[in-house]
Amino acid sequence: MKKFFALALSLMMAFSLVACGSGNTPAASAGSATGSAEGSAAVSDANVGVFYYSFSDTYISSVRTALDAQLEAAGLKYQDYDGNSNQTTQNEQIDTAITSGTTLLIVNLVTSGSSDSAAAIAEKAKTAGIPVIFFNRAVEEDGKEGTVLGAYDNIAFVGTDAPEAGHMQGQMIGQYVVDNYDAMDLNGDGKISYAMFKGDASNVEAIYRTQYGVEDANTIIEAAGKPALTYFDASNTDGFQLDLQGNWSAQAANEYMTTNLSQYTEANGNMIELIICNNDNMAEGCISALNAAGYNLGSGQDGKTIPVFGVDATDSAKQLIADGKMTGTIKQDADGMAEAITYLASNAAAGKDLMDSTDSYTKDTANNLNNKIFIAYQAYSG
Amino acid sequence: MTNPMKNMQQRAAAFQALDAKDKQRAVGESLINNAIYILLVIFVIYTYMRNHKFISVSSVVNIISLSAASMPIALGIGGCIVLTGTDLSAGRVVGLTAAISAALLQAADWGNKIFPNLPEVPIPVVIIAVIVVGGIVGVVNGFFVAKFQLHPFIVTLATQLIVYGVILMFYMANGNNGQPLSGLDKRFSDFVTGKWFAIPTGSGQSVTVPLYVLYAIIMVAVMWFIWNKTTFGKNMFAVGSNIEAANVSGVNVFKTTVLVHTLAGCMYGLTGFIESARIASNVANTGLNYECDAIAACVIGGVSFVGGTGKISGIVTGVLLLRIIFVALNFLSISGNMQYVIKGLIILIACSIDMRKYLVRK
Repeated sequence: MKKFFALALSLMMAFSLVACGSGNTPAASAGSATGSAEGSAAVSDANVGVFYYSFSDTYISSVRTALDAQLEAAGLKYQDYDGNSNQTTQNEQIDTAITSGTTLLIVNLVTSGSSDSAAAIAEKAKTAGIPVIFFNRAVEEDGKEGTVLGAYDNIAFVGTDAPEAGHMQGQMIGQYVVDNYDAMDLNGDGKISYAMFKGDASNVEAIYRTQYGVEDANTIIEAAGKPALTYFDASNTDGFQLDLQGNWSAQAANEYMTTNLSQYTEANGNMIELIICNNDNMAEGCISALNAAGYNLGSGQDGKTIPVFGVDATDSAKQLIADGKMTGTIKQDADGMAEAITYLASNAAAGKDLMDSTDSYTKDTANNLNNKIFIAYQAYSG
Repeated sequence: MTNPMKNMQQRAAAFQALDAKDKQRAVGESLINNAIYILLVIFVIYTYMRNHKFISVSSVVNIISLSAASMPIALGIGGCIVLTGTDLSAGRVVGLTAAISAALLQAADWGNKIFPNLPEVPIPVVIIAVIVVGGIVGVVNGFFVAKFQLHPFIVTLATQLIVYGVILMFYMANGNNGQPLSGLDKRFSDFVTGKWFAIPTGSGQSVTVPLYVLYAIIMVAVMWFIWNKTTFGKNMFAVGSNIEAANVSGVNVFKTTVLVHTLAGCMYGLTGFIESARIASNVANTGLNYECDAIAACVIGGVSFVGGTGKISGIVTGVLLLRIIFVALNFLSISGNMQYVIKGLIILIACSIDMRKYLVRK
């Protein structure tokens, strides 16, 4: 009973947030939002299929919660599907959904950055004569922008500019290193040694974050007249340690880090002085390993703190930053993404053009793609 | 128990009694039978030559700690393999129990607790809870295997999916929205990852051995006792080697099968409890594919899919071996891709040697 109330309450709160957050979203107001999806489905006969790449992803879960609430508030009937990290599964789900009368596809592509996968889905939508909105995970390879989004009508993308998180993380790290150079240089060799944890070998976001997280930091550090960051293990030519299963997992990062800490220590004069992670989960795994070795115990505690940076701004990362155990992260705006998707979906449901009056959004002007909306990242350091 | 010294003397005497040709063959045989260990020793020496820190106190403690963390799940799954079965649900059960442990033991002042009004839960209650949850999945596995003669592969594939669904619901529950479960109570972290003892390494430095190493040792001892000294253990091997014969000789096959799976489930529960505090950040994918490493460790250690054979010491060796490879590749800065190749080769070699012994005996 208590749980029910909690659920009802949180739903109400989510709805009211929607109502405040998105003035231009048609249909819903806080008052009508209390009605069920079926109740307000009279607004349109739209039947939305939302295809997530994986229910287990932390960030995607927050998008799902926000999007569920907003679609409901907009009076759109929807169904969520879990692709379970398998593109074949997702394609089959889409086929099934189309045969069962879905009028709009909202797709979180499994194979991130594959224009072939995206084109296959766009083709399905075209055959069925329904619009498709891709979100979050990139649909085209770098340098091949427009191969999918420019080739079909009734198609849109709402996501992030893949390299942006990496750039922002790199700049945040660079600034932090410049400001705290001497405190960070534990062995006093005049250089900062860093460890980098990569979430997935093939994901474009992971690739960019791994690259720019260091490159952009170095630009700032070198501009301040300091030597560039050095990877802690000189014989590792990759310059990162990779979650081999591609899960961006805390466990992988934790086990690498405990192993690193068994030979890289302050006593040996080669302690890792900076940790960069592709996401907050991996950052948490590293912090757990550091805790075990007596580091990063939080502000007001004994022991030193090794700066740890992540991406996502999960609730627990924010808490760790507040506690002084973590240094910074980059926030992906789940609510903002859900809001933009819902706006496009409402356009489609109302029989308007998908991109009708969307000029207020940031778009991919560099590639002249009017149907590619970027939701900005934000730096978060408490 | 036979005296190992005496045993060795006897074997030496038997070896002396052989003629030259047989001696040569006996040496060859034992080289093949122990190939995996010989290769391991060569590998360890090679790694040490390239990076002397590989055999240092902190590195050895790290290898042991990493092994200790994956020990309980391997001990549990070993029993299922002895019954010629397997258990695909193991990893997900670890994930679920890790989530439960974390949810029940979040720090009171943590900002986003999944159950904000939960009072401080005593640790023993949580341990019992994870054992019960793991046990329930085990009972279900065992019941369907024993009652309907379904292959454990099928049953545990089904429970794996069911448990995963429950995990996903759990993480979405109570407005948690799939956020990681972390911010663990200090009591919990201290209980699992706290200091058991410290080994001084000179110049005021020391390497701490975490408490979960102690728990792993206790679990190894308990499982050794169950496998070797109890009727249930003997019945397990009887059912594993020949289910018909066991049945005829009065072993309760149904009960034994259910119990083996239940015990395995309880071990996964304990793994989840330890993992939860060790990793300190639990997400829906925590525990994913843990069963693969556990099964690999068992078969490398000589727990055979033929059924009815296997030793606790073998499982311990298997777990250690996998961890040594993981750590060594890191010390050699070899790309992780090679880890898969090496793991695969080792499983193949270990199992071939194992089957070869079995075929020779037959």
